[in-house]
Amino acid sequence: MSGESIPLNLPLSRFATDSCEATTLFQELRKPLLRYLAGLGLPPEEAQDVVQDAFLSLHKHLSLGGSQTNIRSWLFRVAHNRARNSQMSYTQRMSESLDPVFDTASTDASPEQSVLEKERLHRVATAICSLAESERQCLMLRTEGLRYREIGEVLAMSTSTVADTVERAIKKLAEKCNV
Amino acid sequence: MCDINLRLVAWMDGELPADECATIEQHVQSCAECRQRVAAYRAASRDFAGYYSATTQSPLKSQPPRRLPRWVPMAVAAAAAAIVALLLLPRTEKQAVPAPQTAKVTAPVALEPTAQPPEQEQSPSVTAKRRPGPRRPHLVHEDWAIGQPAIQIAIPADSMFPPGAVPEGVAYIANVSFAADGSVQGFRLHQ
Repeated sequence: MSGESIPLNLPLSRFATDSCEATTLFQELRKPLLRYLAGLGLPPEEAQDVVQDAFLSLHKHLSLGGSQTNIRSWLFRVAHNRARNSQMSYTQRMSESLDPVFDTASTDASPEQSVLEKERLHRVATAICSLAESERQCLMLRTEGLRYREIGEVLAMSTSTVADTVERAIKKLAEKCNV
Repeated sequence: MCDINLRLVAWMDGELPADECATIEQHVQSCAECRQRVAAYRAASRDFAGYYSATTQSPLKSQPPRRLPRWVPMAVAAAAAAIVALLLLPRTEKQAVPAPQTAKVTAPVALEPTAQPPEQEQSPSVTAKRRPGPRRPHLVHEDWAIGQPAIQIAIPADSMFPPGAVPEGVAYIANVSFAADGSVQGFRLHQ
């Protein structure tokens, strides 16, 4: 996994009134949320709006005395639901435009290496596009550093279902990518 | 071939209870095939992370500058070509064709602030009739060509520059005057 687990040892009891705590939380989670929303297919402007809405909802939630546990998964869940409600083409992003991935091939490589790398990336992209939606979502949240329990809270799944889904998805990818 | 069904991905992710974790760890150390599987799963996780990162960069970057519409460069080129063509028009026919009496000057003409007699101001026909009197100076801009042009055109700056690139405080970039026969009588660039 590339995404490190984000430490959220914040005294969130003061979130509703302390702008410093709110700013820290926003800075720590804004980018992971934006990446996840982009992975769901939201255009950049809409992703920004959804993230702001999610934080406003969090502020309201805590102001009204809502639960302060698992704030990270709470934010991801709110953002996930907003994204679904926006009726965007949900699987569009992960199913189209493979160019950004192909562009990541090293420019220092020889032409032969470059071709091989592009072929490999194409296999990866095809394998990812062949995953089920829930499998992709689990892997995206896992890449963002969420634990299985948190992923389950975001996607309304049990922890064991998340574990099975992640296991299945990774096995599929490994099988198709390492041909 | 190893037939033991182990939750290797959950083990890699540290999601298993300690006892199950220890069991898998022990097995992986002794089983080359499972070690190979773990390596493949790690590579697949890296590949997914790389793809995910590459496809979700756009919201984190600032918006790229807005591209100009395709017609803007063409419009600018056409306007420049038109000006050059106007400058190259022959002027020799200017004398052959007499200027019509009805030729109008569209350049701004300043009205002379003259004090009118009180009785003239009260006259209802003061705007309809023009009294013969001392000839008023014709206040066409001094930079215009000599003689009365038929048409004067001021070229707006926003027709030559793309949107947003118009220099501040510049409304017009040039004045062109045409004689009645269509030849260019004068061309002046604004400073």
